[in-house]
Amino acid sequence: MSQQTATEGGRDVFLVSNSVDELGGVTTWSHQMARLLSGRGHRVHVVGIAPVAEEIRQKLPADLPYEMTTLYATHPPKARRLHGVKGRLNAPERRRQASRRAQMRAKADVLTGMFRAAAPGAVVIVTQVWAMEWVSLADTKGLSVIGMSHESFEASNKSTRGERVRRFYSEADRLLVLTPEDADLWIRAGMENVDSMPNPLPFMPDEPAPRTAKVVASVGRLSFEKGMDLLLDAWADAVPRHPDWTLRIYGAGSEEATLRRHCTELGLDESVEWMGSTSDVLGALREASVFAQASRAEGFPITLLEAMAAGLPAAAFDCAPGVREIVRDGEDGLLARLGNTMELAAHLDALMTDGALRDRLGDAGFRHVRRYSSEEITDRWEELFAFLER
Amino acid sequence: MPDVSVVVIVYNDAERLPTAVQSVLDQTLRGVEVVIVDDCSKDRSYEVAQELAAAHPERVRAFRLPENSGGCGAPRNHGIRQTAGRYVMFLDSDDVLERNACRNMLAAAERTGADLVSGMCVRVHLDNRWNKTTEWYPWIYARTRTLDSITEYPDLLVYDTLSTNKCYRREFLLEQGLEFPVGIHYEDLLFSAQAYVAARRITLIPNHVYFWNVVEKASALSISNRRHEIANFVHRMEIHRRVDELLAAKGHTAIKSAKDAKFLKHDLVLHLRDLPLLGDAYRQEFARLANGYLAGIDPAAYENVTHLQAICAYLLGKEDWDNLLPAADAMTNKGRLCSPLAERDGRVYWCARHIDDPADDEGRRILDVTDQGYHTAPLSSLALGNRLTSYEDDGRGTVTLAGRIVNPLGRIKAETPLKATLEFRARRQIGVRSFTFPVTTVRHAGDTIEWSTTADVASTVRPLGIIDAVWDVRLKLTAGGDRMTTRVSVGGVDLESAARLRVRPRLTRLVSDRFEPEMTKKGNLSYVLTAEGRAAVRTQALLNNAMHGKAAGVVKRSLRRALKARRNLGSGEQKVKLYHEVFSKLPVKKGTVVFESHMGKQYSDSPKAIYEEMVRQGAPFEAIWSYAGGKPTGFPKEATLVRRWSWPYLRALAQAEYWVDNQGFPLALAKRPGTTYIQTWHGSALKRMGFHEPRTKAQGKAGQDRFQAAVDRFDHFLIRSEHDVRTLAKGFRLRDEVLLRTGYPRNDALVEAHRAEVQSGERVRGPLAAELGIDPDKKVLLYAPTFRANADGTVEGFEFPFDVEEFADRLGDRFTLLVRTHYLNSVSLPPSVAGRVVDVSRYHDITPLLALADGLITDYSSVMFDYAVLDRPMLFFAYDYEKYATDIRGTYFDLKEKAPGPVVATADELMQAVGAFDEADAKYAEARQRFLSEFGEYDRGDAARQIVEKFFTRSGK
Repeated sequence: MSQQTATEGGRDVFLVSNSVDELGGVTTWSHQMARLLSGRGHRVHVVGIAPVAEEIRQKLPADLPYEMTTLYATHPPKARRLHGVKGRLNAPERRRQASRRAQMRAKADVLTGMFRAAAPGAVVIVTQVWAMEWVSLADTKGLSVIGMSHESFEASNKSTRGERVRRFYSEADRLLVLTPEDADLWIRAGMENVDSMPNPLPFMPDEPAPRTAKVVASVGRLSFEKGMDLLLDAWADAVPRHPDWTLRIYGAGSEEATLRRHCTELGLDESVEWMGSTSDVLGALREASVFAQASRAEGFPITLLEAMAAGLPAAAFDCAPGVREIVRDGEDGLLARLGNTMELAAHLDALMTDGALRDRLGDAGFRHVRRYSSEEITDRWEELFAFLER
Repeated sequence: MPDVSVVVIVYNDAERLPTAVQSVLDQTLRGVEVVIVDDCSKDRSYEVAQELAAAHPERVRAFRLPENSGGCGAPRNHGIRQTAGRYVMFLDSDDVLERNACRNMLAAAERTGADLVSGMCVRVHLDNRWNKTTEWYPWIYARTRTLDSITEYPDLLVYDTLSTNKCYRREFLLEQGLEFPVGIHYEDLLFSAQAYVAARRITLIPNHVYFWNVVEKASALSISNRRHEIANFVHRMEIHRRVDELLAAKGHTAIKSAKDAKFLKHDLVLHLRDLPLLGDAYRQEFARLANGYLAGIDPAAYENVTHLQAICAYLLGKEDWDNLLPAADAMTNKGRLCSPLAERDGRVYWCARHIDDPADDEGRRILDVTDQGYHTAPLSSLALGNRLTSYEDDGRGTVTLAGRIVNPLGRIKAETPLKATLEFRARRQIGVRSFTFPVTTVRHAGDTIEWSTTADVASTVRPLGIIDAVWDVRLKLTAGGDRMTTRVSVGGVDLESAARLRVRPRLTRLVSDRFEPEMTKKGNLSYVLTAEGRAAVRTQALLNNAMHGKAAGVVKRSLRRALKARRNLGSGEQKVKLYHEVFSKLPVKKGTVVFESHMGKQYSDSPKAIYEEMVRQGAPFEAIWSYAGGKPTGFPKEATLVRRWSWPYLRALAQAEYWVDNQGFPLALAKRPGTTYIQTWHGSALKRMGFHEPRTKAQGKAGQDRFQAAVDRFDHFLIRSEHDVRTLAKGFRLRDEVLLRTGYPRNDALVEAHRAEVQSGERVRGPLAAELGIDPDKKVLLYAPTFRANADGTVEGFEFPFDVEEFADRLGDRFTLLVRTHYLNSVSLPPSVAGRVVDVSRYHDITPLLALADGLITDYSSVMFDYAVLDRPMLFFAYDYEKYATDIRGTYFDLKEKAPGPVVATADELMQAVGAFDEADAKYAEARQRFLSEFGEYDRGDAARQIVEKFFTRSGK
């Protein structure tokens, strides 16, 4: 099986998301996939349900090699369920909800029109569960419908999305999650149509970083979730043995002031550099020799992938299936139990001490991470399209 | 070529066949064909199969065996030969496939190249009112997993012996010549074993793939029904023998051992359960078959089974029915003590037989139950075996019951007065539904207690009817001050000839009018409401229909909701709500202090010291002590006692002027501003605490905020040294003004004891030494280890890290060892060490024990910091220091560096160090002083007085 078995002249592929240009990982992913699939001769159509506000809009290149449609001109009103007597008496809200539902049906009809016009073998990929609410109203007969959840099982189930995934994706031909481990969790939670598909790498350098500078790098938003406070705790344990090393933290965020205070309290001002956010991640990584990540939660952490693609050995908390999927502990990186900063410190200590270990893990990661190259991942998508027709 | 062929076998099941076939046709994978094989049915099965084939000519084919084979093997084998697909699955006509089963199986097979893919089977209980489902060995299918050989996961072969939840590569079946055995039951066991062993790759997927519809006869099988089981047992043993042969031929010894362990754990239990009911002839035949098989079992398998499973197998081998039947009862009813036990040379054995033969070491090893702690556990905590010896009725409504209760090791003394009541109790508790009868005779009789009574069940027990159909019988025994509840097991008593008792249900006699004695699945006596009168039989039928109707659904749902609401009222969530919304709105009661020590488990520690100082000074306060568990023992009678989490407890906390506690009042309870919280804490820290703990660091924002809110409740926090400021105060993120540098009130007594000793030059042992019966000529050592927890915070059980009997033998003539486990743990000592090793865990307060001990052995317990006050020798048995310090929890300093005494790592080193106890004393004097000044500088002996004067004897109070 390979991409050659695809329907002659390529398939019609619809990538349906909440919006086409909302700032964030899913949009980046959608357009990356759209480009890759177009490159394989498929007719891609990127569909957004609603537009987003200016300040959270991503700038897209002008000449996209595929079509792009947004169903709504303005964002539809929020769905609300009206309960009890009070809900029943709330006439204005009931009218709003009724008109919302009518609008949804009308927009779903637009989707149906697009789907009907597609050639046999067409595929609908729904990247976010909110968008699925429209797709499930549309007529998808004859098309393969693939739902996606771009976050860990745990993250889904901490929000209302867990319930909505179960509700709206249960009839999809396939529901794709980020890792096999997340897929197993969804299956054990009662979804029988689940499989997994990793995200493709955004870049793949030809050679690993030189790994000569005495610098540990970490990249991520300065937020509670990314655990920079825990990284500082671990750094405080590890750095006394390595006074000539520096920790560079790339990123900005709401917690910056708190984190800087924490850093000062720990007496780390000498050895920690706050770099702010950067647009040249690869460049930043190439100036370091070790990568550290202390996140409390992750889906399929792209920064970890990037670090490995850059050839840096990583030390990270094993906080999600996505991390375990990317890093094989001891082979191409070192994992510590979530929250165990002593263990993370010991890993950083080992990597700073042992140059040979850095090279071994860094080179291995550089090789292993190729399984997420855009070529490989696109092949897997095309195999899936073919499989769902059997 | 289809991707998957599903072989559907059918025998006299025309009605359900179409449903099974439809479940294949409805698969999400389209390339699936059905091969129906009829085992020469007598009904229309084959016609139906042909009709299905005609309706789906491309997808369904029908075949028929020329004569009935009587099993599943022959039709499945025939089916395999007819299949055309690349993969083959099996389906029985009364079951169905999950809709995505074929797609998921195929995806897994193609992804991994497996010969065999197996998914989870789900049992659907058709006779259950809610159509209950149970997953079949879900732990095997917890995650996707690919094996390159069955040797990687023997449990798969051992436990999942079904052939139907699997997808086989057709070429693989043909190449390997895999077929089902014909003419024998349990054909799946052999087929699946062969397939597992032959497969070069096996993939397991967690998906539900197969729905196995089962109808369990709820009522127990009658004896006549059980008799034919010997035939089944013959078949079962034969299949086991063939599987073993296969494993032996392939050299799979590890799998054989795992399989043997399962045989001891499961198969044997299944059959032993029935033994009490069956006659000698059956038993002998059973023993012959089973022992023949047991003889071939790997001795190593015994190491993977529970002590009772090993005991049962051993006693069966000896054909010792008298001791086996109680053992089987104990195995079926977990935790039940069904044998009177026996003691020899300081060890406790399951029974008195087989342990006196000097040659039979194996018997003694297997029958030794000392570690179960039956000899030390409080009587009231034991579930004593209680076997029915006779059952008579007058044919109407009165029964006369007699039975025997086990009296283990004669622990219920002959002179102890006995009382008992017999209780009939509805299994479904709607309101409290129970009726009790006095037991007329209860008396001591050797190693048992005999009882008998006559109960007029008909006129006393008044079930509601319908909703409380099952009633259990329990006997409550009072022996002196101990109260024990026992279930009555039926044993060998024949209930089949017993009459059904007439009862008058409160709702209506139209539904059920008889009470039928019955043996539960676990062999206990119960009664079931049934219908006998014609009217009752008719309404029962009507009702059964009605119970499944739409209207009944509404009623049932609301009933369930009502029951849930009632349960919720007592739930923690509701209590917390009421605490905040009602109790906390009531005025603060000036002068009330709520005390708690270690979450109510003890009357001890600094809260106790403060309380006693208040009493001594006559402070005008109302003291309320919190206790955990059933009833408070050892708490002061003068104080008001409230059970932790009870309504009075919550109310007392909500209205208290002061909270005094050493660990933490429930985190969920907010403290109102009018209440002052004095947190005494319970020890200086070696291991990382609070926000410094990995477990806390791993928490989400919400969890951390909750924790922060809980520690923010502390208005005052007692500390013993600046070390506490650097560790505890930072770990809990406490503001400096919260800290009270008073030292620990609990240590006042130790400071005083040390002063007295220095002044008088002699150490005076108090009344505690006499109470414990300590030899004045022996030195007293206290062993006080801390608990160990896993990374997720669950507490591991306590096990001696050294051989306590060896300790007693080597050092017992010079030392008395007091053992005090952490309050989260418990210990049971063998009788052999009596007088030389003493369990003092039940003493709430450790302080008097510290004062008594001439030396302390600990590992990482904070007791080391307190004991330092006494300036006596300490020994650190840190056998797992690396793991403790770096792996799970982390420490604030290196114990090895600062320990004021020898740090040893092995049991042998420990005993040598104890042997050289006196020499080490002087050597560490300086280190002890350093240790005390670093960790206990504020312990000056007046902590309780300072606290009481600061808070409780202010002028105007």
